[in-house]
Amino acid sequence: MTNDNKSVKNQLDLKELFLKREVWVIFIILVLLTLLFNRSGVNILLTIFIDFAVFAIITMSLNLETGYTGIPQFGRVAAVIIGAFAVGAIPGRIIAMFMGLPYGAEYASDSVNFRLVPEINQLLASSWLISLGFLVFSLLIAAICGAGIGWLISRPAIRLKEGYLGISLLAFGDFFMWVGHNWKGMVGGSVPVSVPDPFRIFAGDRFMVIVLVIFVIAFLVFIYLQKLTRSPFGRSLRMIRDNDLSAGAAGKNIVSVRTQSLVIGSAIAALGGGLYVLYVGSMASIGFTKLTFTFWPWAFMMLGGIGSNLGVLLGVFLLTILRTMIVIFRSQWFGFLLTIGIDPLWLEFTLMGAVIIIVILFMPHGLVPEKVEPMLPKSRVKQIIERRQLARGESSTS
Amino acid sequence: MAPWMASGLIYSSGLALTAGSITLLYIVTRTFNFAVASMATFGFYIAYTGISLYGGLPYQYYPLVFIFGSFLGIVCYFGLNRHLLRRQAAEITLMMSTLGYDLLLLSFIQMYADFLTHTYGLFPRRVTLNVHDFELFGERAAAIILPIVTILLLTLLHFFLTRTRFGVAMRATIENPVLSGASGINSDLVYMVSWVIAGGMASVGGAFMAMAMTGTPTMGMFTIPLMFAGAILGGLTSLYGGILGGFMIGMTEYAGIFYLSQQLGPWVLGYRMGIPLMLMAATLLLFPRGLAGIPLAKLINSLVGKKRGESA
Amino acid sequence: MLEVNNLNSGYGKLQILYDLSIEAPGKGITVIVGPNGAGKTTLLSTVMGVAKYMSGDILFEDMPIQGKLTHELAKKGISYVPQMGNVFAELSVMDNLSMAGYLMPKEESKIKADQMTEIFPVLKKFIHRDAGTLSGGERRMLAIAMGLMKNPKLMLLDELSTDLAPIIAEKVMMEIARLRDELGITILMVEQMAKRALEIGDTAYLMVSGEIRYSGKASDLLHEPELCSMYLGIKTDSDQIADLTKPSIEGSD
Repeated sequence: MTNDNKSVKNQLDLKELFLKREVWVIFIILVLLTLLFNRSGVNILLTIFIDFAVFAIITMSLNLETGYTGIPQFGRVAAVIIGAFAVGAIPGRIIAMFMGLPYGAEYASDSVNFRLVPEINQLLASSWLISLGFLVFSLLIAAICGAGIGWLISRPAIRLKEGYLGISLLAFGDFFMWVGHNWKGMVGGSVPVSVPDPFRIFAGDRFMVIVLVIFVIAFLVFIYLQKLTRSPFGRSLRMIRDNDLSAGAAGKNIVSVRTQSLVIGSAIAALGGGLYVLYVGSMASIGFTKLTFTFWPWAFMMLGGIGSNLGVLLGVFLLTILRTMIVIFRSQWFGFLLTIGIDPLWLEFTLMGAVIIIVILFMPHGLVPEKVEPMLPKSRVKQIIERRQLARGESSTS
Repeated sequence: MAPWMASGLIYSSGLALTAGSITLLYIVTRTFNFAVASMATFGFYIAYTGISLYGGLPYQYYPLVFIFGSFLGIVCYFGLNRHLLRRQAAEITLMMSTLGYDLLLLSFIQMYADFLTHTYGLFPRRVTLNVHDFELFGERAAAIILPIVTILLLTLLHFFLTRTRFGVAMRATIENPVLSGASGINSDLVYMVSWVIAGGMASVGGAFMAMAMTGTPTMGMFTIPLMFAGAILGGLTSLYGGILGGFMIGMTEYAGIFYLSQQLGPWVLGYRMGIPLMLMAATLLLFPRGLAGIPLAKLINSLVGKKRGESA
Repeated sequence: MLEVNNLNSGYGKLQILYDLSIEAPGKGITVIVGPNGAGKTTLLSTVMGVAKYMSGDILFEDMPIQGKLTHELAKKGISYVPQMGNVFAELSVMDNLSMAGYLMPKEESKIKADQMTEIFPVLKKFIHRDAGTLSGGERRMLAIAMGLMKNPKLMLLDELSTDLAPIIAEKVMMEIARLRDELGITILMVEQMAKRALEIGDTAYLMVSGEIRYSGKASDLLHEPELCSMYLGIKTDSDQIADLTKPSIEGSD
């Protein structure tokens, strides 16, 4: 509250405060990382980085739809699972087809699949060109399928309002989740299916390379979204979010803009799902629940700050570290729970729930509140004002 | 009764109560309550604990279940909802806050299940409660008792809302909070009572549903879209609509999947939840205001061939 | 009776009233007039705890009441008849009256409701009908009856004459004057039928864009030709009032 009051008085003060908060969060993140590094070595850091990067991609996509466009996307899991599906089902089959291996429904049955995939992996390991091609194609197909599902879902739902829209998206998300859990012919239903590994070629360094690749992709997504949300399109998104009536009156096609946002967001989320599958090396659709891929990204986003990409990144990072810490320190810190038979892993849920509640009650704008970007940079505005004043001065003297 | 019908009736009664609970809270506080999921699961676990530790029939624990659900509702109201309502938070914020509460409850449920396993040697993660049921007129008793209980509860609620002063005050607050405040009605109290009733209904609904399906810690999480579907089908404008909507969703799911699996084979069973969701999507597309939005009189008139304005 | 000092208020982040001060003396009618969007309704709803109070003092019987919840104010004896949504459309007329008497014991509320139906016989006819089915004039009657049900010390009336036929509006005005004269109720009213309201009123305020432009005796405002013609649409002949029958056009927000 006091922060708000100050900010009204002094624009500079406000800027410093934001800066301080971000710095503060990054500092905590670094301290926690060092702590973890001292305790469990570099591998734990890599795991955190991967989790961070995958969830950062998914949460940023959620932020585009929810934070910038105001669509309450409670069905994020749908696009994620479709991306995972696409990567699990399509590229492997295509290679199997070229290699003369079975590629129909039997590809997904576990008795065939566990013999097939190693053969494909051998081919991938033999040539970096094929590996790269496989990777790029996998991600492309994931994004395309994600965009498709986004469009499909948008058809019946996009005209609905607030809560109704949220619930419809939730329901559609669940529907695709169930399809994933049950469609055996595609990627094995509830039985995990191995996925060809384009990183096999790096042998011992595989883990490092994956971290790097996912990180780079997450960074590219961040840059892209940053550009997108500052473009005129981004402004119309926010306009529709803040007041769809006046946006409509200003000539924005609300349905089309919202659909575009949903399609782009779903494509990015599907990318995240696809990357996750490539990293794990197998596609277990049972692992794609709305809890992990809808509700957790929501918690990440709310902590970071709805409508702020940088905030979202920090939120994801902080919570990923905290989650990992619960896993690592479970017997050390929560031994009292173990004595009555309770697995401290459930504290992850408690953490997410508590984060959502605390953020809503005490800092509704999250760690890094959304900064409204002016149409022109500040320096340019200053220039214009100065020029005007000059011109006025001249005219008055003449 | 056809085999699907008994289970369907039990299941639908539970779904009706949970959908009713969602509707009630939405019309009173504008809150889409996600926590109904975990409230329902908690209701089931209360009944399960009672039966496993003290024996008896599931039915005798329902009052306890209701009280516990009400307690969960009150906690949510005073801890969360009240502050947000005072702040006039957006619908999405209200929805999100109950999601946070739901996750908290879910973690407690999981811990409680662990606790039951460890301390009492029970198996609370896959429970079939209906083995504790008895037979009535050659049917499973639950198939007869639960719909009756649902209707009874609905009647009680109806009397409460139309015949008691506080019930009328609740309706007044739903319709016009400002005017009811100016009349001296404490809207805080109205909101609290609606959380009490809704929490109780959700928990009892969960205990009902567990008589027809396998009780797990995530059963609420899995059925929440159907509960919402019921509420939306009911139109989210009247409590009775919500209850009817939930009931219809449950029955179509059971009947539909029974006939489809006979026609197409058992593989459809995995996609059973698709049917009610289709129904919901169709409702949203055709009648965005749900059952309440169907212009019934107009439809009948057009069928009979009467023009508007002509009296009957 | 009611004193408002340096009040700032609005909705959300939007501030509408700036340092507004008014006073409604006891047992009198205070009329607030002014053009659209002046913030008259906001003033009433801030007093009633509906709009967002920001700063300043609101004193009722010399006790500060700012920031109190609406139903607490109702308990203190303030009754509020909003401009829009002043009856419960989905409840029957009887239920509406009994809701208005929510704070009294049941028997007393029944007796009071009977009195109301005597004052407004039209309500008796429709006692079991839903209030939503009443005509505009009948609804206003019901709204006033509901305001009176509470035995108020102070009544806040927001644009009572809106959508009433002129004859009925006149009747309503007479009724309000009678409330002051016979029951000694203090009345703070916002009115678009500015001329008629100023005639029955004791004190008057002219509000423009969240600020007070005139305060003083109600009858005197009618003799301010400039203010009258500029803000109230009342034509005046320098000091003589002309065109008495024409109701004002402007006024509501």
